Amino acid sequence: MSEWALEGDGLTRRYGGFAALDDVAIALRPGEIRGLIGPNGAGKSTLMDLLSGRGAPLSGRVRLFGRDISAMPARQRRRAGLARSFQKTNIFPDLTVAKQIGLATSAAEIDNSVEVMDALGLTALRDRRAADISHGDQRRLDVALALVGRPRVLLLDEPAAGLTMAESLNLALLLRELAARWQVTVLIVEHDMEVIFSICSHLTVLQLGRILAEGTPEQVRSMPEVITAYLGSSVA
Amino acid sequence: MTGKATRALGICLAVGLAGALVPRLIGSPLLLTLLTQAVLNAILATGVGFLVRQNGLVSFGHAGFFGIGAYVVALSGKYQVMPIEASLLLGILGAAGLALLLGAAMLRLAGVAFSMLTLAVAQALYELVLRWRGLANGDDGIAVQLPRRIFGLDQSVFQQPASMFTICWIVLVLVLAGLALLIASHFGTLTMAIRENEERARFIGYRTLPPRAVVYAISAAIAALAGALFALYNGFVTPDVLYWSLSGEALVMAVIGGTRAVWGPALGALIFFLFKNAAGDLTEHWPAIIGGTLIVVTVLLPRGASGSVAMLMERVGMRAP
Amino acid sequence: MRLWEETDDGAPGTVPEATTERRRYRGPPRRAAAPMLIQTLNGLVYGGLLYVLAVGLVLIFGLRRVVNFAHGSLYMVGAYVGYTVTAVAGFWVGIVVAVLVLTGIGVILDRLVFRPLQDEDPIVTMLVTFGLLLVLEDAVRTIWGKDFLTVQPPPLLAGVVHLTGTSFPVYRLAVIGAAILVAIGLSLWLRMSRVGLYVRASSVDPLTTGMQGVDTEFLSATVVAIGSGLAGLSGTISAPLVALSPSMGGSILIDSFVVVVTGGLGSFTGAFIAAMLIGQVHNLGVVFVPGAASMIPLVLMVLVLIWRPGGLVKAGA
Repeated sequence: MSEWALEGDGLTRRYGGFAALDDVAIALRPGEIRGLIGPNGAGKSTLMDLLSGRGAPLSGRVRLFGRDISAMPARQRRRAGLARSFQKTNIFPDLTVAKQIGLATSAAEIDNSVEVMDALGLTALRDRRAADISHGDQRRLDVALALVGRPRVLLLDEPAAGLTMAESLNLALLLRELAARWQVTVLIVEHDMEVIFSICSHLTVLQLGRILAEGTPEQVRSMPEVITAYLGSSVA
Repeated sequence: MTGKATRALGICLAVGLAGALVPRLIGSPLLLTLLTQAVLNAILATGVGFLVRQNGLVSFGHAGFFGIGAYVVALSGKYQVMPIEASLLLGILGAAGLALLLGAAMLRLAGVAFSMLTLAVAQALYELVLRWRGLANGDDGIAVQLPRRIFGLDQSVFQQPASMFTICWIVLVLVLAGLALLIASHFGTLTMAIRENEERARFIGYRTLPPRAVVYAISAAIAALAGALFALYNGFVTPDVLYWSLSGEALVMAVIGGTRAVWGPALGALIFFLFKNAAGDLTEHWPAIIGGTLIVVTVLLPRGASGSVAMLMERVGMRAP
Repeated sequence: MRLWEETDDGAPGTVPEATTERRRYRGPPRRAAAPMLIQTLNGLVYGGLLYVLAVGLVLIFGLRRVVNFAHGSLYMVGAYVGYTVTAVAGFWVGIVVAVLVLTGIGVILDRLVFRPLQDEDPIVTMLVTFGLLLVLEDAVRTIWGKDFLTVQPPPLLAGVVHLTGTSFPVYRLAVIGAAILVAIGLSLWLRMSRVGLYVRASSVDPLTTGMQGVDTEFLSATVVAIGSGLAGLSGTISAPLVALSPSMGGSILIDSFVVVVTGGLGSFTGAFIAAMLIGQVHNLGVVFVPGAASMIPLVLMVLVLIWRPGGLVKAGA
């Protein structure tokens, strides 16, 4: 049994001559909530994609609780306990909320659907078609689909995108609570620094496909190279 | 039994019985013949429509599966290898098996490529049967030798329009009921989900190729069933059962009737045949008529008749989509 | 499509009974397989015709992202128009007129079908062009009848050459030559001309190309016109090799679809490689298993797709 919940090393993805991700290594401790930040084009989504099995097979390795999952397709990784949500809302528009949560539940080992829908405020919407609910609700549905089955590791790609400040903060605190309750390890990509600072115990900063810095939020926010990279964003 | 299920069963029985009464009400043998053809084609169109509904894919070659069903029955009669009832089953399973095989290769492709290849496969089958005269007599066709009794019924039952209409109607209702059950099941939800968002379906833990292949196989089996019934009824099978104009006809019906409701294509078949009856003696240029109709309905009626009915019902507040 | 003339002396022949008989297909004459070189060359002939036809499909798909199901019908119309004009004004005029007519039809097709439907789901265009396929087939049958028709190659190309002890019709070599010329010409046009550049760019990324202020309507009309013209060219130069019939568009359409998908949807190079491959394979099928020849390219395609789900070459190449 490995000491790391999720590890990646030598992670690289190239498009022609351009390296979206260049030999990146990352390791998450069980139960930690890690923030993944960096300026646009840093490679955050690419890293998420490589860890979750989206797109072309990677060079490098990914391990889930010590088990090598590098060759596994996304479907298998999910079954092994690695789930993700998406930056661009990725739900089933024509199905009702209940039906799609139900679908995710059938593929999972644990039925926590009631808990998930409750926690994310979707219970009242259960018989509504996903296309008919508000954008904010759809984002939460996107996250809910990833939470079904109580995954061991959760990758969240900008879960608060398009939400109001209040909604974002609510979601963040909710995620922190669920993570603690279920002992889920979380890697969260976010631009919203309020969210990042309110729930993350550690941060990884990416820039131009490489790791720029790592550390606690307090450490990272005062690193000169990080400040420079952001050039006066809310980190400083 | 739940209220909803009882109601559904009631509707099925009522519709089934209504169909059985039709031959009594209609005197004209010509009209009855047309109606029997309509129901056979309705079964074929249902197969095409189901594929659109569950997989979001359009098959331009369903005549290929229809033809397989027809030719297996005809050939089994010629070579006397098995009872005719078994050949019916064999044709259906054969078509389903072929669909599974093709699906494995073709379902990975974009919808456009898939559609192209469905046409190619059916046309290749047509050419095969046409040119390999030793197999099935090519252009001359094969007569279907019917035994005294089929499924315990007298042979003539399958040849008279009045009784055959009833049989085909019952088969159609059973097929529709079966599909409705499938759609309401977990498998139905899964395939709809895959159709809407194949990627997310994988990311919540599902394989997406096998379910779609099964849908393709089911739609092929339905088409083959229609073909087998056709062979029994028509008594004669020619390569025309594989020709693309038949695929086109099925598509016209599916477009007219709409595919959102599982009974849409069957409705389309009925409407189309009423139109055919009115069109009268233009069968010389039938392929052109099918082609022209397809163009017109595709452009003018994107949701089809059942789509319009559904829209109506939504407005009246009767049913969620 | 069957290459009829494989008579023993290798001269381009016609099938005597076919002209006067009803739509009755008798099957190919049975004979021993000709030497390897001749087989290969025959495969190149069919492959060449297939390439000229299929590349038109790729052009149209690359720009409009739709498949022209009526493409085989355009091939057929090209052959029939060529036949009629040849009877009146000779073979060469026949080719030119046929290609021009088909190019014109292409412009009309773009204007009336592809352009109005471009914002709809691609399936709509496919359904409409499929309907058109059925209409055209019937139209040709009505105008020219369903009997098989034949066209003689022009006197200039009517002879034979002697290769490794057997004779091979000059006309067939000319067809191979024509296909090569088309391939080279197209390749140069795609790489060197501005229009060609836009076409290549569009086949990789239609949205961005559209946003760059390129006059997409003119571009599209040009491309569809060229694609249709090529279909007509393929049809008309194939006329001396096959018996014309209203269903002649059928088997070559199968093969051209197979070529486009096997080659990789949207790839010009892929279409060329696939066409050559399918040409050889089809021809071998015709010789060794004539009844089942139509299935061979499909089987090949299934194998290729299992190995490489995207086809042989990526789009835009």
